[in-house]
Amino acid sequence: MVLEEKVEFDNSKLNKWKKWALKGDMGVKGYRIVEGAYGSRVDKIEKRRYMVVERPHGVVYQHSYGLLSRFYEGLLNKKLYGTKCPKCKLVYLPPRVHCWNPKCKLEETEWIEMPLEGEIVTYTIMAFAATPFLKDLPFILTYVKIGNSCTAVPLQLREVNPLNVHVGLKVKVKFVDKPKGDLMDIYVVPAEKPKPPKRSKEEEERLKKDLKIVEEWVKKHFPKEQ
Amino acid sequence: MKIAVVGAGMTRFDRPRRELQEELVAQAFKNMMEDLPELDIKKDISAAFYSYFSDHLEQQLCMHWIIHDYLGLSSKPAYRVESGGATPIDAIINAYTFIRAGLFDLVLVAGWEKMGELDTAKVNEFIAMASDTDWDYPVGGYYSGYYATMEVRRMHLYGDTEEDLAKVSVKNHNNATYNPYAHWRAKNGTKKITVGDVLNSRLISYPYRIMNVAEVSDGAAALLLASEKVAKKFTDTPVWITGIGLGTDSMRPGDRTGNPAWVGLYPEDEAVWPEAETKPLSPYPEMANFGSFRVAADSAYKMAGIRNPLKELDFAELFNPYDGVEISAYEDLRFCKRGEGKKLVREGTTERWGELPTQLSGGLYGQGHPVGATTIGQAVTIFWQLREEIPKKWGSRNAQMQNPKRALLQGHGGTGTQAGVIIFER
Repeated sequence: MVLEEKVEFDNSKLNKWKKWALKGDMGVKGYRIVEGAYGSRVDKIEKRRYMVVERPHGVVYQHSYGLLSRFYEGLLNKKLYGTKCPKCKLVYLPPRVHCWNPKCKLEETEWIEMPLEGEIVTYTIMAFAATPFLKDLPFILTYVKIGNSCTAVPLQLREVNPLNVHVGLKVKVKFVDKPKGDLMDIYVVPAEKPKPPKRSKEEEERLKKDLKIVEEWVKKHFPKEQ
Repeated sequence: MKIAVVGAGMTRFDRPRRELQEELVAQAFKNMMEDLPELDIKKDISAAFYSYFSDHLEQQLCMHWIIHDYLGLSSKPAYRVESGGATPIDAIINAYTFIRAGLFDLVLVAGWEKMGELDTAKVNEFIAMASDTDWDYPVGGYYSGYYATMEVRRMHLYGDTEEDLAKVSVKNHNNATYNPYAHWRAKNGTKKITVGDVLNSRLISYPYRIMNVAEVSDGAAALLLASEKVAKKFTDTPVWITGIGLGTDSMRPGDRTGNPAWVGLYPEDEAVWPEAETKPLSPYPEMANFGSFRVAADSAYKMAGIRNPLKELDFAELFNPYDGVEISAYEDLRFCKRGEGKKLVREGTTERWGELPTQLSGGLYGQGHPVGATTIGQAVTIFWQLREEIPKKWGSRNAQMQNPKRALLQGHGGTGTQAGVIIFER
């Protein structure tokens, strides 16, 4: 019996990354000797010599999205799916294949197409982030309730001045031009004129200054992205 | 059956520590043994529980096997506990439970982390792998993002301010200046900071600034837990564990707006909700509070017979990777009502001179946050405080509390996805 067959795929970039993973084999690629500290208490430190080696490690995971694959395939086709429990009627985005309402005893849910609109539950202005996102700073991370979902999904909010973002802002869901199959295929933009949160003059000035510092930092470190 | 802590030790939290992990744990272990002259490692220790967070950070699976034989403990039962930031508190609770079950009499709990082998952005990425990597991770917030959104929710619902967060930061950083094991002091010396310093420090994820955020540290810490039967053999002044509790919440913070598993559990807290706001399906803890702390604390309080924690506790060590967590913890640990945590900050209740001081160690950016060692390091501070050994251990008379009897230790992992609380008494 054939348990699995490839139906559709895009592995145009895979070979490049497989080579990269083979290269990152934990072998020593360089070293340095340093004079460093030794001891439990900072007021009682001794000096010791240490050798520090560089060991790169690369990996490529072949990750299945499991029964949630329907959601991610939906993204590729610019459709947004959630799930609904036939018993308790709760709607989930992020979707759940089994209802988590204890009363429903992991009832299998049904797929439904979600409306491309929602409301911001909360947000933050990211001014420092992990490596892949540094060049996008500052960006706004939000948790959004889409349609009548009872839960909120993390999405980036774009096309708005960070100073104006607020809890309760109505938003529209947009798809990127070329979806690749993760949550970054969608983002939200305001669906109404924002009502900026109340801030003192001092708080507002400080936040403006913060954002300027971030923008200058990105310009300096990622000149090509500008 | 009563369970005691009979020994505690640590090595300074700092970054980078160039010693190997086993050498760091050895330093913590030796630091602990300074007060245990009677301890025979081979005869007395019956088992060990090890706490480290990340195989990715250490570039080593099963690192506790290295540690275990390094300390001379081969042949003895041992295993590793792993639950993100909750790892160290869970390791202590594991040790407690095994002793209480009557299986072991004297158990070592050792924790460590070396996070300094990677740059900070990579460290954040690896830590964020403890969040849902299909849902929360891809959007680029990572923990500084998730926790910041939760604090913005609090600011919106309860009116926490940036200044409240800064005050918590000032308190904790300045506490750390007394602590010679603290990362902050190793890096910055003993100079005190002000609210202005915090508010002018670099923004990370609004409202959090670099001085509101946990340190990336290397370090190690150790505790020795004993049954009542053997405790007195090792010390005349054991510290007793009189209550423990565990709790959980959803993996993803965004799911907490509509979690049927919470509905109706805490009606009084569900009732605290601004009239103008739409009430979600599960109003407590929602994204604004840490319900796992509540569940853990309630069972620990029940076990220890505590009815009014604000009055009955002398001090507390909390797991505050971000300052808003500490303000929320005041509410979730029942130091005050839901939404009123900011009042405790404004009234100075948790300052070192206040009614219930928190983070005398300095907490997660003060003492530091080498994940697997963090909460064990805070337990070490509690142990020394309760035995009034701070003048000797820290070289500071001023940092010693007067006659403390009872302390709370709280730890958690994820965005409060898993939590533990322990009550210590002398």
